[in-house]
Amino acid sequence: MDYILLLPVVFPILAGIILLLKKEYQKRTTLLVSVGIVLLLTGGLAFGGIFLAEEGITAFYLTRTLPIFFKVDTLGGFFAGIVTVVWILAGFFSFEYMKHEKNEKRYYGFYLIIFGILIGLGFAGNLITMYLFYEFMTLASMPLVLHSQTREAVMAGLKYLFFSFAGAYMALFGIYFICHYGATLEFAGKGVIPASVLSEHSTLFLVVTMLMLIGFGVKAGMFPLHAWLPTAHPVAPGPASAALSGVIVKAGVLAVIRVVYQMIGVEFLRGTWVQTVWMTLALITVFMGSLLAFREPVLKKRLAYSTVSQLSYILFGLAVMEPEAMSGALLHAAAHAFIKVALFLCAAAIIYQTGCKRVEELRGIGRGMPVTLWCYTIVSLGLIGIPPASGFVSKWHLAVGALHSGIPVFSWLGPVVLLVSALLTAGYLLPITMQGFFPGEHYDASRFEHKEPSVLMLVPLLILAAMTILIGIMPGILTGALDAFAGWVM
Amino acid sequence: MGEHLLANYAEAVAMFLFGIGFTNLLLQKNMIKKIIGLNIMDTAVYLFLAEKGYIEGHIAPIVVNGDLSPETYINPVPSGLVLTGIVVSVSVTALMLSLTIRLYRRYHTLDLDEITIRLKKEGL
Amino acid sequence: MEIIRNFPCLSILLAMFSAIISSALKGKGARWLNTFVIIVVGALSAAALYMTMTTGESYVYVMGHVPAPFGNEIRFGSLEPGVALFFCVIMLLSLNGGRKKLLLEIDPGKENLYYIMVDLLLSSLLALVYTNDLFTAYVFVEINTIAACGLIMITERGRTIEAAARYMIMSLLGSGLFLIGICLLYDMTGHLLMSYIRVSIEDIVASGMYHAPLLVTIALIVVGLAIKSALFPFHAWLPDAYGYSTVSSAAMLSSLVSKGYIFLLIKLIYRVIGFDTFLNSRIINVLFVFGLAGMIMGSISAIRENDIRRMISFSSVAQIGYIYMGFGLGTSAGMVASIFHILSHAATKSLLFVSGVGLTDVSGGHKEFVELTGSGYRNVAAGIAFMVGSLSMVGIPAFSGFISKLLFAQAAVQHNQFAKLLPTLIVLAVSTVLNTIYFMKTVIRIYTPTGGTSYVAPGNARHEDQKYASVSIKENPLYVITLLCFIILNIILGMCSQPITDWITQGLSVFA
Repeated sequence: MDYILLLPVVFPILAGIILLLKKEYQKRTTLLVSVGIVLLLTGGLAFGGIFLAEEGITAFYLTRTLPIFFKVDTLGGFFAGIVTVVWILAGFFSFEYMKHEKNEKRYYGFYLIIFGILIGLGFAGNLITMYLFYEFMTLASMPLVLHSQTREAVMAGLKYLFFSFAGAYMALFGIYFICHYGATLEFAGKGVIPASVLSEHSTLFLVVTMLMLIGFGVKAGMFPLHAWLPTAHPVAPGPASAALSGVIVKAGVLAVIRVVYQMIGVEFLRGTWVQTVWMTLALITVFMGSLLAFREPVLKKRLAYSTVSQLSYILFGLAVMEPEAMSGALLHAAAHAFIKVALFLCAAAIIYQTGCKRVEELRGIGRGMPVTLWCYTIVSLGLIGIPPASGFVSKWHLAVGALHSGIPVFSWLGPVVLLVSALLTAGYLLPITMQGFFPGEHYDASRFEHKEPSVLMLVPLLILAAMTILIGIMPGILTGALDAFAGWVM
Repeated sequence: MGEHLLANYAEAVAMFLFGIGFTNLLLQKNMIKKIIGLNIMDTAVYLFLAEKGYIEGHIAPIVVNGDLSPETYINPVPSGLVLTGIVVSVSVTALMLSLTIRLYRRYHTLDLDEITIRLKKEGL
Repeated sequence: MEIIRNFPCLSILLAMFSAIISSALKGKGARWLNTFVIIVVGALSAAALYMTMTTGESYVYVMGHVPAPFGNEIRFGSLEPGVALFFCVIMLLSLNGGRKKLLLEIDPGKENLYYIMVDLLLSSLLALVYTNDLFTAYVFVEINTIAACGLIMITERGRTIEAAARYMIMSLLGSGLFLIGICLLYDMTGHLLMSYIRVSIEDIVASGMYHAPLLVTIALIVVGLAIKSALFPFHAWLPDAYGYSTVSSAAMLSSLVSKGYIFLLIKLIYRVIGFDTFLNSRIINVLFVFGLAGMIMGSISAIRENDIRRMISFSSVAQIGYIYMGFGLGTSAGMVASIFHILSHAATKSLLFVSGVGLTDVSGGHKEFVELTGSGYRNVAAGIAFMVGSLSMVGIPAFSGFISKLLFAQAAVQHNQFAKLLPTLIVLAVSTVLNTIYFMKTVIRIYTPTGGTSYVAPGNARHEDQKYASVSIKENPLYVITLLCFIILNIILGMCSQPITDWITQGLSVFA
């Protein structure tokens, strides 16, 4: 029994609830120190859980056939690891950023609760546990979207909620069937539904898989249910939108892998219409997301559209159903998490220091905030896919996997769309760098003088930029485990 | 079909009455007429029960001269049911009438739909 | 142990006599007597539940030593005392949640009348749950109706009297149909005791006679009880009756009165008509279709409603649709799901009514959504409770609503007819999304700070521009404790559902 798996889930949730119920702190420092301690402790516990736990633990039984069960496998550990790193960094970033926002206590309370929930999502050992934490995640992240309590935020929150719940119930539809026909609910290598059942009810299971794909795809911003993402992410406070856009969307990816690869099994799906539809949707989203980002003048919204596009890179990599494409997709998930968080934190730092939200206002920003803009540039290169930053390796694996798959049309169309989208990515990210450093003649950038943010904001940014490079130069630290996982499920 | 109706004319009448009562209770707008419908409906059921319990040539189940043989009396259970039913229907009717009085005092009409319209206008 | 056999009868009589005694008491005395009786009845039911659970059998209590097949009987397995216990808990909590409001809403000196009605309601519910005699069931159905009508019209306003009149008319139509149905049944079988009727009905079905009359009889009984429990499309009376009566009444009406009729219907299906006979009649398909229609239409009406109380009431229509849909599946898994949903809906709906009134009270008594803006901050306890209730209704895991939806879905997936499997799952999903729309809309509304577009922090707003005063937790501790109990009950149903479903399954096995 690995009780250590329960600790990083329960501890931050309890801490968050206590924080929410407590009276307002007299001194802001007390609040920050306690939140910081909880974040670091949870991080330690989470890594302890990832590396030490072997057996898994059943917390309790929801009904006799539905245990709440925790176990770490490669994917879960990978997800929990990303969450932990990002959450701690963005948390420390918010210590500075949230200084001027109201309701700090509520923000940190929910921030800690979601931390626990996300780790629980990663550690979930069976389908029902995953679904439980998936729903909790939606609910607990609502207050972050609603944080500013303006009309705009409330409408965005409602949109977020309806899309998420509609998606979750489509997915639940499929879970009912898996519960009934599956041999077990625990995540297995190649699906849990006996082949005889699959061949007998093949149409049913194809429809069910498609529904679950679309349902969980909502969180990952997949077309046609992507519209909530560019509305909901930017209205949250800066670090929160970073966390939403960088990590919570990945929960959708995690859920897709869990149900498609580990519950239904790819053997059954390869070559069916489900795969074709899935690839089509993913490619449409990749292209459309980039295009919309290209046209978007508000920086945070542009980044949100970029998330839509990048997430579908990952989904396309999964849809190809090739081991190499899959490990590429997972690597891209990690890279995108760090990069997108860094980008949103840059945007947050700029807004915090200067109040500029639109792209055209940022001309000449490099004079005043060079370090921030350098970080921005490095991670942007990563997202575009220019070596040595991380995006290059992951996209390389993705494209190679797609070419190897031998699926007619898509094996070459996929890489082409990815390439075009990469160009668009460069088109929407790099102008900020260029105009920031080279505002041109006759431009007065004096209003940006000495606006460099404090250490508390810069250090997380620098760490994230460094990690982007690190994954780019030494992808081997991750690919080994990811390749093994891809081989296990295929 | 015709013979059956003729042989079971009491049941047929009871069902017919039940239908009349039911329709009145459902469709009349006037509260008093609704209550009348309710009573017709209940009475129809008692007629049906009484008819079912009656056996040709037997007498009411009151012991006379110590005669305890079942051939003498009609079935007493339906009569008991009718009595219970009457009690129930009386109390329900009383309640309905008291509701009607209250409504009439407030709105000076017995038409339930009109009361609803007025309530909507009042915006209560 | 032997003495426990008397407890069900004792609890009915206790409730009845307390109603009589209450008429001689002042308001406060009647209140205490009522609380005492509910607790005692709950304890008696718990004892009976314990006995039946340990022995796993069902018991017959013969009233007045007139032997079967003529006398009147009480019969209980493990299901009946459990439901009785649950009803007592919900009743006590609903009353506690609305006590303060009740005193404000009724004329002085009438409080004891209210508790007479509550005692009568309790006794008739218990009788409906325990009785084994058809005509007794009819009489107590009527007593239940009268008591419920009294609960609606205790606050003497035009609206409530009108609502009570409409409720009464629809109920009487229902009980008329029910009465003629049981008379026909008596005519065909010659029995009034449920178990004996089933034996006769099995003979009749085996002999092939009376096919049409039997069908008509079943239809009359089922439709009668469906009208009384507000199955779509017979729900027109419901929103007014629940929406304008005092909060305790609304909570009890929605979670106990209609559930009492549904429990009676389950009993009739199992013990009188026989499950197989019922299955083979086509009425089950009608119930299925109406249940599905109710799930959708109730939610749509709730979405269009602008009054929080009426919205919660319309949601009841949808939830009752779920229950009948479970009947309509015609499997024992569907039945277990329906019974679980009876419990889960009773716990959740009374929670919503009680917390809803807390929210309207801090909004100047307005029930429109515009006025409710930000009320979750003004009454923190009610806000949290309403959120929990909404989450349960929406079907978030860890709350009771999720389990009942799960049970329904499992029952549907196990179903061998595709024609029932697919509609169930689709309608379940659609109705859940509709539920989400109106409940989450409300939750967000109550947590939207007043002031609309401009930014107002709730911490500061309290002193500045708030229209309505807030209520702190300490002002009404009873109310807060009640809400807490409701939340705990909801989470127990959601987290520890296995013993409860086991109990229902075991109870159903000795039910017939």
